[in-house]
Amino acid sequence: MQQQQTDPLADNPFFVLGLAPDCSRQEIEREGQKLLGLLELGLSRAATYQTPLGPRERTPELVRGAMAELRDPKRRVVHELWADVAQATSVAHERAEQAQASPGEAPAWTDVWQLFDWRAP
Amino acid sequence: MVRRHKRENSDTLLTRMTLTTPRYVGIDLGTTNSAAAVFDGEQVTAVRNAQGASLTPSVVRIDGRGNITVGARARRYLERDAKNTRGEFKRLMGTSQDLAFASADITRKPEELSAEVLKSLRKDIEDQFGFAPQRAVISVPALFELPQNAATSEAARLAGFEQVELLQEPIASALAAGWSAEESAGSWLVYDLGGGTFDASLLETRDGLLRVIGHDGDNFLGGRDFDWAIVDWLLAQIKQQTEVELSRSKPEHTAAITRLKQLAEEAKIELSRNESTEIAIIELPVPGGDPLDLEVSLDREMLETLCLALVDRTLDVCTRLCKTHGLDPGGLHHVVLVGGPSVMPIVRRRVQQVLQVAPTEGLDPMTLVARGAAIYAATAGLDARPESRPEPVPESQRVWLQHPAMSSDLTPHVVGKLVDSEPDKAPGEIRVLRSDGLWESPWTEVDEEGAFVLSVTLIPRRPNIFRIEGRRGPEQKVAIEPPTFTIVQGLTISDPPLSRTVGVALANNRVRVYFERGAPLPVRRTFNLRTVETVPAGSEECILKIPIVQGEFDDAHLCRLVGSLELRGEKLKQHLPAGAEVEVTIELDRGGRMSARALVPSLDQVFEQVAHLLVPEATPEVLAANLEATQQRVIELRAEAFQAKIISAIGRLNSIESRLASLETDVAAAAGGDTDAAQKARRAFLELDAEIEQIELDKRWPELEEEARETVIWASATIADFGLPHEAKLLTDTAKAIEQAKNNRDALELQRQLRLLARLGSTASLRHPHAWHHRFERAASKADQATDLVAAQALVKEGKVAINKDDVPALRRITQKLWQLLPDDPEDRKLGHNSGVR
Ligand SMILES: Nc1ncnc2c1ncn2[C@@H]1O[C@H](COP(=O)(O)OP(=O)(O)OP(=O)(O)O)[C@@H](O)[C@H]1O
Ligand SMILES: [Mg+2]
Repeated sequence: MQQQQTDPLADNPFFVLGLAPDCSRQEIEREGQKLLGLLELGLSRAATYQTPLGPRERTPELVRGAMAELRDPKRRVVHELWADVAQATSVAHERAEQAQASPGEAPAWTDVWQLFDWRAP
Repeated sequence: MVRRHKRENSDTLLTRMTLTTPRYVGIDLGTTNSAAAVFDGEQVTAVRNAQGASLTPSVVRIDGRGNITVGARARRYLERDAKNTRGEFKRLMGTSQDLAFASADITRKPEELSAEVLKSLRKDIEDQFGFAPQRAVISVPALFELPQNAATSEAARLAGFEQVELLQEPIASALAAGWSAEESAGSWLVYDLGGGTFDASLLETRDGLLRVIGHDGDNFLGGRDFDWAIVDWLLAQIKQQTEVELSRSKPEHTAAITRLKQLAEEAKIELSRNESTEIAIIELPVPGGDPLDLEVSLDREMLETLCLALVDRTLDVCTRLCKTHGLDPGGLHHVVLVGGPSVMPIVRRRVQQVLQVAPTEGLDPMTLVARGAAIYAATAGLDARPESRPEPVPESQRVWLQHPAMSSDLTPHVVGKLVDSEPDKAPGEIRVLRSDGLWESPWTEVDEEGAFVLSVTLIPRRPNIFRIEGRRGPEQKVAIEPPTFTIVQGLTISDPPLSRTVGVALANNRVRVYFERGAPLPVRRTFNLRTVETVPAGSEECILKIPIVQGEFDDAHLCRLVGSLELRGEKLKQHLPAGAEVEVTIELDRGGRMSARALVPSLDQVFEQVAHLLVPEATPEVLAANLEATQQRVIELRAEAFQAKIISAIGRLNSIESRLASLETDVAAAAGGDTDAAQKARRAFLELDAEIEQIELDKRWPELEEEARETVIWASATIADFGLPHEAKLLTDTAKAIEQAKNNRDALELQRQLRLLARLGSTASLRHPHAWHHRFERAASKADQATDLVAAQALVKEGKVAINKDDVPALRRITQKLWQLLPDDPEDRKLGHNSGVR
């Protein structure tokens, strides 16, 4: 099994680039170029990015990957959805983390299943 | 000649004066012809050689005195003096084949001959533009393998280039077409039919961004095949008229066949312009008989009959490519034709009929690739001018700048950082001014890291030069080094996608995937792997292999070995025990060149030597055996496919079979001493192998579907019980992708998604209160097979204690250690390219 995988939620391209899901294509190119430049120069202001799961380390690979994902209109739609869901459920997530800490209390999934029109198994 | 020299001198003078902006050089190093182009940010100019032509035949001649001739002057000898003249060496790039020059009694490697062509183009650029380019972009076929790319870089180095980037030919064509298009939005198909390869690429432009959607192609289809079709027809004509029977597979007929092929090519080219032509065969050598003299007439209609099936094969590829990406042929906006044979009327006609778009007019199919490569050099910031930095102004402040060299954005960012600044001399504010004097940025503060970020405004479609100024307080100016920089406003090209998944083969015959297909290049990644056996220091025999493979399969043996890192006992400072950690980093640059590195933290030693693989040599015996085995395999698969009624497989097998038929000719020619045909056949086998693998994978479909069903159920249950919210969401996402892959019957994609799902499920399952308990039990049951029995038994004991104490973190640590001591199946290891890591 492969352990050190990227996390598709925390690595959502919009988080990596620090952009809102409704940004334009030009903004993606502009911000991506800027971040690559900042990273190349080793500047601290580009070193991390914010996600609902907390701050993450930003790398040139992540930025290039994010730009590539958002250039593809079909894939961008998926990420837009994810970015929204992530924001909306980040509160729920914290609650779930707490639930994990106190055993026996399983988090409620039903909302998430419905969101995707998917019946819980 | 003399007149030309005069003109060159004045050109040179002129260019010297105007070389204030960068120059970008692109080179199309073709199998048959090569070309170069220079881009100044506004105009792309095709380079003319000493003969005034924009095409230089990729032919090198070395005479008895060692004099080297390149291009048209060498080409004239290709047939007359075959022992001292070589062409089509691009096909041998990456092989260890030495090419002999009899009179001079020397041999040259393919990359050395390519270097001669590059040198000649470099000289032409110097004559016409007044500078010897130091940096350039060289185009390579989309399907070039890693060793071939490496050989191309080597050729450039030998030709005196300081730095080159490689670019796939179809991207180059599209870039050139996109640059000259007035209104360029929409989808593009680039149809590149060359001397020996066909490439089709689908691209899209929108808002100034050029994006590659997909490639397809046929490595073994080109103008030469048309020539051979004509030769076969000529052989039939000769037999009919003279009863002399010549054969392509008889070594003694080589001279006659070479002659006929040349005549066939001339006739083919002639028929692109005229309706009919006469082929005059004069003194054709016939072993054991009198030389033949005869005249045969060939008209365009006959030529088209001979070539139609080949042309339609190219169009099948185009249709398949469109379909794969959900595009109806009618949905294309532009078709760009590239390469010599694309000039043939039948090609243009069939393209228009089948793809329902008229090919874009006004683009030169012969220099388009070189032009695109030159534009790409601009996007990569690869200024070709020799470094001639004027002395920096004393007391100037150096800055390190980052900005796109070419940008579709009219207001890109420029990021900079002061280098080696002294606190009492460094500027506190920076601004930039555009050279036309019509725009300047506000004074921008330098932050505590010595950095600044500015937004600049560009004039469209040309190079924009900016001057940088610094100051300390309103009065004190600080000179900046470099004083200026340039950004070309134009297209943005998205990073080239990796064509095949790259990873490390593991000892259990699995693959640790480093980069998935489609990942934007360049990429770099590091994984921690562990050795599976002890390597004693100083031992010469003991070599631990880290095989690097390319391919889409989960099983290492199905993927192709492209390189191998080796940890040699003789180089080790100390013994390396089994289970030692090795940090393996793989890096690919934009042109797909690979480098790899293994760091052994416990020894603080780095191994960088990648055993580069050469394209294997293809002996006629091996090829013949391959042919037989493949034919046999196809027969078996066909029988199975009919039985199981797998229609798609039958279709594929039919296409494989028709290619096998043409391969037979190549294998026969290889037996007749044609090394080029041998290489072509070898590569054809690689492709056929991949296709057969795909069919095998299809055959496994029912099994795969079952696996998918089970994995989904297991993962859903596990994640419902132990997953985090985001894992649940990923589950639904993955389940959808699996559903889609199932509907499309896409085995590779299904396999990929299952991999993701399994990972997701196993992450969640680790939160099961007894997860590590179960894992420990399983590992402990195999402890008797461990590489280090004593250590394993100690671990088992420790584990039991941990279970009793309910110490999960300890149990986890112990189980993981135990895993490292358990051996892999030796069979698996052999299959996994003898990998020494996992
Ligand atoms: N006017 C023409 N009509 C038909 N065919 C032509 C014409 N001009 C050149 N060719 C053919 O084009 C082929 C060479 O094409 P081209 O120069 O595009 O190939 P290349 O770029 O060297 O090859 P590759 O792209 O495979 O490396 C030869 O087979 C030649 O016979
Ligand atoms: Mg070509």
